[in-house]
Amino acid sequence: MADGMQNMARVSLTIAVLLVLVMVAGIAQTVAASSKVICTVETDRAVLPAGESQNVVLKVTLEAPPAPAGIRRPKVNLALVLDQSGSMNGSKMAQAKAAAVEALTRLGSRDVFSVVVYDTNVHTIVPAQSAGNVDRIIRTIEKIQAGGNTALFGGVSQGAAEIRKNLENDFIHRIVLLSDGLANVGPRMPEDLGRLGAALLKENISVTTVGVGTDYNEDLMARLSQNSDGNTYFVESGVDLPRIFAAELGDVLNVVATQVHVTITLPDDVQPVDIIGREGRIMGQQIELFMNQLYGDQEKYALVEVKLPAARQGDRLKIAQAEVHYQNPLTRQPETSRGASLVSFSHDPVQVEKSANRDVVREYQLNLKALAQEKAIELSDEGRQPEAVTALKQSADRLRQVGRLYEDPALLKEAEAVEDQADQIEEKGMSKKSRKILRTQSYQQKNQQLSQ
Amino acid sequence: MRSIIFFWVLILVPALFMSGAAYRLLSHEQERIGRAAQEAMMERAAAISETIHVTIETVKDNLIRSLVEIDPGLLKQTLLDWEKTNPLVRNVFVFESGKKLIYPEKGMAATPEQRQFIARFEALFSGRIEFDRWGGDADPDYPRVNGVGRPDSAARQGDARKQLVTLSRAGRNPPAPVAAEALSDGAEIPGRGAASGWLPWFSENRLHVLVWVKSSSSSQIYGLEVELVTLLSRLVVDFPAMEDAGSAIVLTDGSGSFIHQSGQLKVSAKSRPLSQLAITGLLPHWKMEIYMDEDRLGSAARGFFYLSMLLVGIFIAAILSGGILLTRMTLKNMKAARQKTSFVSSVSHELKTPLTSIRMSAELLLSGRVSDVKKRDNYLSVIVSESERLTRLINNVLDFGKLEQGKKHYRLTTVEVDRFLTQLIEAHQVRISAQGLRIITRLAPGDFTIRTDRDALEQVVLNLIDNVLKYAGSGKYIKFVLTREPSAVLLTICDDGPGIPGDRREKIFEKFFRVDSSLTATQPGSGLGLSISRRILRDLGGDLYLEPEKNTGSCFTARITDHDTDNNSGGGR
Repeated sequence: MADGMQNMARVSLTIAVLLVLVMVAGIAQTVAASSKVICTVETDRAVLPAGESQNVVLKVTLEAPPAPAGIRRPKVNLALVLDQSGSMNGSKMAQAKAAAVEALTRLGSRDVFSVVVYDTNVHTIVPAQSAGNVDRIIRTIEKIQAGGNTALFGGVSQGAAEIRKNLENDFIHRIVLLSDGLANVGPRMPEDLGRLGAALLKENISVTTVGVGTDYNEDLMARLSQNSDGNTYFVESGVDLPRIFAAELGDVLNVVATQVHVTITLPDDVQPVDIIGREGRIMGQQIELFMNQLYGDQEKYALVEVKLPAARQGDRLKIAQAEVHYQNPLTRQPETSRGASLVSFSHDPVQVEKSANRDVVREYQLNLKALAQEKAIELSDEGRQPEAVTALKQSADRLRQVGRLYEDPALLKEAEAVEDQADQIEEKGMSKKSRKILRTQSYQQKNQQLSQ
Repeated sequence: MRSIIFFWVLILVPALFMSGAAYRLLSHEQERIGRAAQEAMMERAAAISETIHVTIETVKDNLIRSLVEIDPGLLKQTLLDWEKTNPLVRNVFVFESGKKLIYPEKGMAATPEQRQFIARFEALFSGRIEFDRWGGDADPDYPRVNGVGRPDSAARQGDARKQLVTLSRAGRNPPAPVAAEALSDGAEIPGRGAASGWLPWFSENRLHVLVWVKSSSSSQIYGLEVELVTLLSRLVVDFPAMEDAGSAIVLTDGSGSFIHQSGQLKVSAKSRPLSQLAITGLLPHWKMEIYMDEDRLGSAARGFFYLSMLLVGIFIAAILSGGILLTRMTLKNMKAARQKTSFVSSVSHELKTPLTSIRMSAELLLSGRVSDVKKRDNYLSVIVSESERLTRLINNVLDFGKLEQGKKHYRLTTVEVDRFLTQLIEAHQVRISAQGLRIITRLAPGDFTIRTDRDALEQVVLNLIDNVLKYAGSGKYIKFVLTREPSAVLLTICDDGPGIPGDRREKIFEKFFRVDSSLTATQPGSGLGLSISRRILRDLGGDLYLEPEKNTGSCFTARITDHDTDNNSGGGR
């Protein structure tokens, strides 16, 4: 009897141990699963009108998990490229130095830090080295003095050269460019700098641009950031610089996915029409997009317009499948996520309307607003200011209309803001500041920039 | 005088010649420094140009080679991979010769960039212009012949250029060095490329470069558009830094826009370059321009010029001051020689005059024809007085020698100066009265007994009396005034003669000096009396000076120190 009792106890202990092991494994699996990027593909409506060919907006969303606590974050390879042209003299330069020090103090000794300054010429004052050499680097930064022209292209090139010293290692590569003036030495067309950004992206180097004051070329800075998947900021005075640098570093230190390739595959009868707000490539039935990195807790998305063939009532079709391949910088392993979109078709307009996905609608509208802002800049540049105002007002009307339809306060608020911008431009013309705000907001919206 | 002029000519002519020659030499040197700086800068620019040329040549060779090596079955996929991953590749294309563009497809081009690419090279892709219209490399073994991609050729270049060369070897994964070496050694490679080329293409006034390969196995032409921004971005990083504030080397593109500047000089589009040179035929119209601040260049060379001129100036000044010094000394010596000659003749004359008187009197007495006692006494007294005069003269000359050499010895005795003076006046009364001068003596009450050298004092007083007799003989009186000071006795001897002109009042105490006037011309004199008297009195701790000028005449005061008082311990030597 006693033996039986003992056996039972042994068996129950074994079972308990097994149960605990199974539970632990389960939890581990959950943690592993939750730390992956989640990919979803949605349409603006889940139920579409049957019997007619139509264009539909697809929203491919990438939800990055929060950066896990307790795991060492990936190493960062940061190059600061600072404008030290004559116009930076005074408080701007003092704030830029403070900002540089702010960035440095947020890094650790595993990270790599370099500082390049440019005026007429380009100088690497802090060659790529461990960010642990805080005192020495700060002493060097303090010595920066303003004077001369603006060799922006050379500055970014030199910053990239410093980054390349550690290109082969597992770093998050980032150049932060600060400028307050027009580039007047070297290539200076936004298109050229955009191409430089695109070339740097191929080496996984992103360039974040920070424009100070109202005299820099926001088109050039935005293009450079956009093509290299960096952030862009506009600060009116130097006072905000340390905050911006801190925000930027917050992003950089929080990267949870790098080299993010998104491939959207469409069935044969679905035609790709356009990629909204992002640069991508349409290859037959495939749409390819690339992002250099995702930050923790960030939601990035791509909007794609496709043309669907006519379908019958009650059909339920898979209209797109997305596949995301990325590098997990924490585990240094490649990861993959998938998502697909299924839609139904109905002749019932009420059912179609009810199925609207407010989130997709909102983001779609906000992206259209960003495009309208760019259009307004373009029109204003051509001297067609009334048309620019009209473009903005139409965008505001549309936002208001959709906002009311779906009772979306965010859209209504945005409508007000755009209306204000239109009024201001109508009243005072397109000032340098308004142009910069429009360009920066449009960029931040299209790229879902986290920190602003 | 002639010799001095000759001397100056000897100094001045070479000095002027030397300064002229130095000026010419320095001017040439100044120009040479300027030219050397320019040449150095041009050589530097040429070296940079050459490096860029070699780099781009290597990039070209490597790109063509990489294109040739693509597996035909994987052509499109390989090109697409390059386009996605290689920063040096802007666009890729596959073209069916004479037919159509296979990739990127017209109309269905996926990106705005590709649409622009097709539009840019429309003339080529529509078949209007052949790819090899401007020539190409027809040799299928192109890479072998040129031996491209040799690791050592890349290793000689800067980091950025090395990376550029690596990028140009292939897509993201350059061929292994072993393979590259094997190829460069002439190993057989599948020579599929029938022709290839690097095609610079201007569109909207901007340079674009297409690298193409014509397949020998099919009618396909494929290739890529080089991302010039990447090329530039890598090239500018390796541009040597120049800290010189006065010069700049600027890289410009076909439209003259500045691509990169090295050097601190402020250069604008309006500035004119000192010189310019084409970089490479592979990037047509791209130039290296050299700018130099001529003012700054000039100022550096001018600095050298001024410094050198200053040195030459100092040299010439040294020669001239040496000359002046020599002239002064010569003149002084000549004057001294003249004074000595005049002294010798004066002394001879002075010696001769009393000797003549003595000789005449002695001869008369010797002839025995003078019977009159009075007359005989007269002749004898002439002999005595002239002998005394002769003795004084000889004493003066002897003393002068001793004083000059500092060998004069003084013998101090107690002298009652008032008594001494009275005796001396008495002894010379005849001489003085003979000149028609009235003797006035003023003795202040008191004791004039002092310790001094009696003989020296007598020599001084006699010199002063002789002086009055010689130069103030036309006056009416000679006045002796004796006053007492606690440590000295002052003896002033005044006359009412013609006096001494103001500018000569101090010079009369110089040896050999005689006031140049009609009076001195008629009176014999050595020019030693006053000089010796002052020297004797000064040796004895006193002085001899001329009293301030009055209406007529002159007054000499001899300050005779009493060596008995404690204050005057100095004295006889």
